[in-house]
Amino acid sequence: MTPAGAVVAPGSTFVTRSIAWERVILSVVAGIAVLMVCYPVVVVAVRAFSKGEIGSALTFEWLVAVFESSRSHEALVNTVIYTAGSSCLAMLLGVGLAFLSTRTDMPGGRFIGILTMLPMLVPPFILVVGWVALADPNAGFINILASAINGSRTSWVNISTMPGLIWMTGLFLTPYVYLLVAAGFKNSDASMEEAARVSGAGRLRLLHSVILPLQRPALLAALLLVIIMAAGDFIIPATVGLKARIYMLPSLIWQNHSSLPGRPGLAAAQSLLLVAVGLLCIYFQRRALARGGRYTIVGGKGARPMLFPLGKLRYPLGVLALLFALSSSVIPLLAVTSIAFMRYWSPYALKPENLTLRNFKYVLFEYPQVWLSAQNSMLLALAGATCCVVLAIALAWYVIRMRGRFAGVVEYAMVLPLGIPGIALGVGILSLWILVPGGIYGTLWILLLAYVTAHIPVAMQFVGSALHRIHTDLEDASRVAGQAWSGTIRRVDIPLMRPALIGSWLLMYVVILREISLVILLYNPSTVVLSVGLMDVWSSGFYPELAVYSLLLLVLGLIPVALFWKFARFSSE
Amino acid sequence: MNAVLEGKSAAPSGAPVPPVSGESGSVSVRGLRMSYGSQGVVALDDFSLDFPAGHCTVLLGPSGCGKTTVLRSIAGLITPDAGRIVIDNAVVFDSAARIDVPPERRRLGMVFQSYALWPHLCVAENISYPLISAGVSKAEAAQRTTAMLEWIGLGGMGGRFVHELSGGQQQRVSLGRAMVAKPRAILFDEPLSNLDARLRERMRLELLALRQQAPFTSVYVTHDQLEAITLADRVVVMRAGKIEQVGSPEDVYRRPRTRFCADFVGIPNLLEGTIRSASGTDVVVETVVGAVAARSWRTDWTPGAKCSVAARPSLLGMRESTASGARPGRVIRSIYQGTSTIDMVDVDGVNISLESISDERRVPGEAVAVAPTPGAVFAVLDD
Repeated sequence: MTPAGAVVAPGSTFVTRSIAWERVILSVVAGIAVLMVCYPVVVVAVRAFSKGEIGSALTFEWLVAVFESSRSHEALVNTVIYTAGSSCLAMLLGVGLAFLSTRTDMPGGRFIGILTMLPMLVPPFILVVGWVALADPNAGFINILASAINGSRTSWVNISTMPGLIWMTGLFLTPYVYLLVAAGFKNSDASMEEAARVSGAGRLRLLHSVILPLQRPALLAALLLVIIMAAGDFIIPATVGLKARIYMLPSLIWQNHSSLPGRPGLAAAQSLLLVAVGLLCIYFQRRALARGGRYTIVGGKGARPMLFPLGKLRYPLGVLALLFALSSSVIPLLAVTSIAFMRYWSPYALKPENLTLRNFKYVLFEYPQVWLSAQNSMLLALAGATCCVVLAIALAWYVIRMRGRFAGVVEYAMVLPLGIPGIALGVGILSLWILVPGGIYGTLWILLLAYVTAHIPVAMQFVGSALHRIHTDLEDASRVAGQAWSGTIRRVDIPLMRPALIGSWLLMYVVILREISLVILLYNPSTVVLSVGLMDVWSSGFYPELAVYSLLLLVLGLIPVALFWKFARFSSE
Repeated sequence: MNAVLEGKSAAPSGAPVPPVSGESGSVSVRGLRMSYGSQGVVALDDFSLDFPAGHCTVLLGPSGCGKTTVLRSIAGLITPDAGRIVIDNAVVFDSAARIDVPPERRRLGMVFQSYALWPHLCVAENISYPLISAGVSKAEAAQRTTAMLEWIGLGGMGGRFVHELSGGQQQRVSLGRAMVAKPRAILFDEPLSNLDARLRERMRLELLALRQQAPFTSVYVTHDQLEAITLADRVVVMRAGKIEQVGSPEDVYRRPRTRFCADFVGIPNLLEGTIRSASGTDVVVETVVGAVAARSWRTDWTPGAKCSVAARPSLLGMRESTASGARPGRVIRSIYQGTSTIDMVDVDGVNISLESISDERRVPGEAVAVAPTPGAVFAVLDD
């Protein structure tokens, strides 16, 4: 009984504290992950200051050229206008729709909310093709309608202009604003507002003195996010933008890289500028969200905050909100679908005898490479989503549970890719691996690496918030009940996080499948993916085929979502 | 609802046999040290204690006193900086010998404040989890789980999910899970503080009944003095990582050693004073209410030493008196509490509480004379 006479019990072997394998393994994984997200930034910076490939003489010429070369200067100005315009539009629509659908008595608020989020599942390419179909100056449906009304050729709207580009991007970014802001509006603590009312604040004063200030961190975070996304957006500048000769930095980076003679140094310098802006935004966004912690009040009582009565404006605002919500997904989707069945697309093609299934037959069975690229896309999306989720579990465990010495560094590093536009990340990854002979350049592996690097932040956010929600007592109880670390993760954590894991996996799958900017510089003919193929079809200019092709992308993305929807949870905070 | 817990177990037939055998063992802790954070906040400072087999030892203290650190160190959920822990003659932690047996191999049971029941498993799966982990066959695990369910009064509810149970039922499941694998000791981490007052009262009595049925070794952490003195075979009052007092519940409640202990077990009247004379455990202390004859656990007082006098606000401490030595004071306020009325009296600038069973509330300003009950007050060490 005395401790002095105690023996080590059979079965409880000596376990020295110096070796905890899970710690070692996770630390190594975390270290590799930090390298993975950091080197592209470094490589882009070094490349921007190198005359030739990395290792050659240093120079400022590329950086100077970004501002001095007339094309680059023009692109810079355009990018600023485009970013400012589309961010403002997205904020206006996102905040407006969020407020109307959660805090007012507007009819159909919930439905409009769901509609607003829908574009996240729809590839932005659909939006592009759809809006070209609707607002092309010649054959756009809206202009055909205008001509019919007017009796003569009339062009009301033209998508191939800066306002047109801003309109599409604003619509595309609206759901991200909505997502960040609506939750705050919905969960705001009723008692705080009641306190303001009792203290004599009228409805309007309540809005600008309590409700909006409480949402300030979320609003700022949303604004910074859409600025990053707009400045780095590739698809719209590289399709409609290039066609209209409105040059922007992301599309110019692509051209400097892929057209001959290429100017990769200038592309790197342009990328560096985008990365600098992106990382700055990320820094301020993190700060806003961290300060937001002060404002987050977890109200114990689930009293619903009061709804603002809209009075006479109830129905007009409802119709307007519905129209905007439809413009971002359903209307362009309908336009794309209708074009897909047309023999050709011109102002006078809207006739029954022009209906055909030929486009489907051609794209699905005759178009070269469609099945190779579909196969590559599916393979990469499945593998990429799985890698992201598994890596996110390991990293989340390291940061949240193990609280390793570098947990803070790892946590911050895993946010960096959010601030790096896809095209710039592509430049960084390419510039390094092109130098490694026999490396992964030119294989599917480099695409996989790019996908995982770009999307690990979102996966981390999902898995991290799910892990945060699991009380450590549940794990401790399992340990005391005789399960080792690995068994505890398998039997307690994974089952409890399952909805969030499935949700994040589906999201990863969908976004990887649609990703273009990231891989446009990294693929080669044998590793072509569906989304990149879209760019080829776009340049061919045959819209009915383009429509079918983009629908194929949509359907492939929606299959697993439809299968696993009910097992998933998509909330990420 | 529950044969054992409702006290019907005395019936000769039909009473379920407790599925916990007398396998529990002793726990011994030596020289435990633990500090947290970069500032090195000391949570445990050379903590040593034996937890005898079959006894319930309650660690009592305010939050931050290190009681939970002791418990989690025994469980293996945290690794102390130094020390040695032996469970049932097996060394599970020894900083010098670099031994640190992980929690899953310490064969303990634990009841958490949050219950820590797994929401994705049903009640039976929660209870059988330790058995499955220990490699018990499915059939035996099922049979032992059923027996445990019966014993904790949840027979037939094994298929339910945790969120379908009431707080008290969840607490029982948590207890069943802790006991089912016949652990060497059961650790309780403030298991009742999440319950509302009435349920807490009931669960406290149920726990007492369970312990009488199956006297397992328990280490029980709480900040509630009532829980401590009802459930404990021995109470350990802790403060700032050290033991302040160890004793039977009666010792701790009636004979606190220090001003801190007296305050913690809820003695409101703590009067500063000076030892006038001492003989053995009997001392006379000069206080604001005059010379008080008090008892003490110490015998080495020297006249002139500073101390405090602890007196409960009742006949067993400070009371209203008309005797000649009583000190006059004035009522500040009178608080009706249902079972008694507390009068707060100002005596020469010192607040003294008196308790009476009267329903009458006194008027503030009313004159009252107070005096200590001889022999019922204690001289305690100042902090």
